[in-house]
Amino acid sequence: MKPCTIVVVATLAAAGSFHVSLLAHHSNVGFAVETVNTATGVVKEWKWMNPHTWLIVDVDDGKGGTVEWAMEGRAPGVLLRAGWTRTVLKPGDKVTVHYSPSKDGSKVGMIARVTMSDGRVLPNAPPAN
Amino acid sequence: MMAAVAIACAVAAPLTRAQGSQAPPDFSGVYYPANAQGGGGARAGAPPAPQVPAKPLPPPTRTGPLSDGSRGRGPDAPHLTPEYLKKWEAMRDSRIAGSSDSDNTAKCLPPGMPAMMNMAYGMEIMQTKDKVTFFSELNDALRRVYLDGRKPTPAILDDPTYAGYSTGRWEGDTLVIETVALRDNTYIEGFTPHSDQMTVRERIRLLPSGLLEDRITVTDPKALVKPWETVKTYRKATFPNDQLREFACAEGLDHAR
Repeated sequence: MKPCTIVVVATLAAAGSFHVSLLAHHSNVGFAVETVNTATGVVKEWKWMNPHTWLIVDVDDGKGGTVEWAMEGRAPGVLLRAGWTRTVLKPGDKVTVHYSPSKDGSKVGMIARVTMSDGRVLPNAPPAN
Repeated sequence: MMAAVAIACAVAAPLTRAQGSQAPPDFSGVYYPANAQGGGGARAGAPPAPQVPAKPLPPPTRTGPLSDGSRGRGPDAPHLTPEYLKKWEAMRDSRIAGSSDSDNTAKCLPPGMPAMMNMAYGMEIMQTKDKVTFFSELNDALRRVYLDGRKPTPAILDDPTYAGYSTGRWEGDTLVIETVALRDNTYIEGFTPHSDQMTVRERIRLLPSGLLEDRITVTDPKALVKPWETVKTYRKATFPNDQLREFACAEGLDHAR
């Protein structure tokens, strides 16, 4: 029973951190925008929402497990012009995410680029011209 | 010969007056910043489908512009009085610490004039004889410019808003706008603060290149050492990039989920 209890607590904590992150990190001043890290993992949820999109990813922790990250994307209007769509990412998709980490050290990032498992790239800005 | 010259001049003068009374240019349409910063889509035609790059892309070096003030104020930034520079420095320290308290956009508030005219996510201009309306995809913000000769009343001057109260007139092909009655809790650009005495003058025209130009002058006797001038240029979009998307910022606020 004990391991089950631990799992439940961990899940609640993760849900709580995501809830807080939506309020705390909408502005890009919450992120170290000139630091870009890389995470690989599996899409848990792709939230095509205003004013910013969210990609929830189970990221490989390097120890055989995963840890949930909330990656903040740009607005749907911007991403549409950059080639994304509401359905471009689905739960279960393997992705590589380049992201800037939150300044507060939480498991929240701001998306610089997403690369899908077939190598296609989703940029975070429309082409210049 | 003298007679011929006199006749040519007589004909030319009425022609010039007639040109002056011609209908003003039509600015209607959707535009994105010409410098392609931000989230615009000035590219003609449909957005590109995601591609596999021909060769591996170098890793990105940043996700966006540094906007916390940690590199100080640029040489082109508005020159603030000591009182308002202190306000800016306090916000800078807060932003460096990661706080979005000074970010109105993060709170889904309108960007306000003149910052609104950055139009980073695109703008739609709707124009009639008596009014020009500017709509910003970012935060679904709107401003109206009255061209019918009305002036701000004392009641309007006593009721400041984010977009302010704008009246305009045509000087030839240039739309000249004056904006007053602005709230003091917005920013001139970035997070540069201002007082409730700020006014904004604009001269908007189509350039020979086809770009739309807005020359903006901001005056604020309390916050600025001298008027601040900036120039924005925008490129008109074609289908399907002439369709701005709903922003509906409140959807991301806690109560709306």
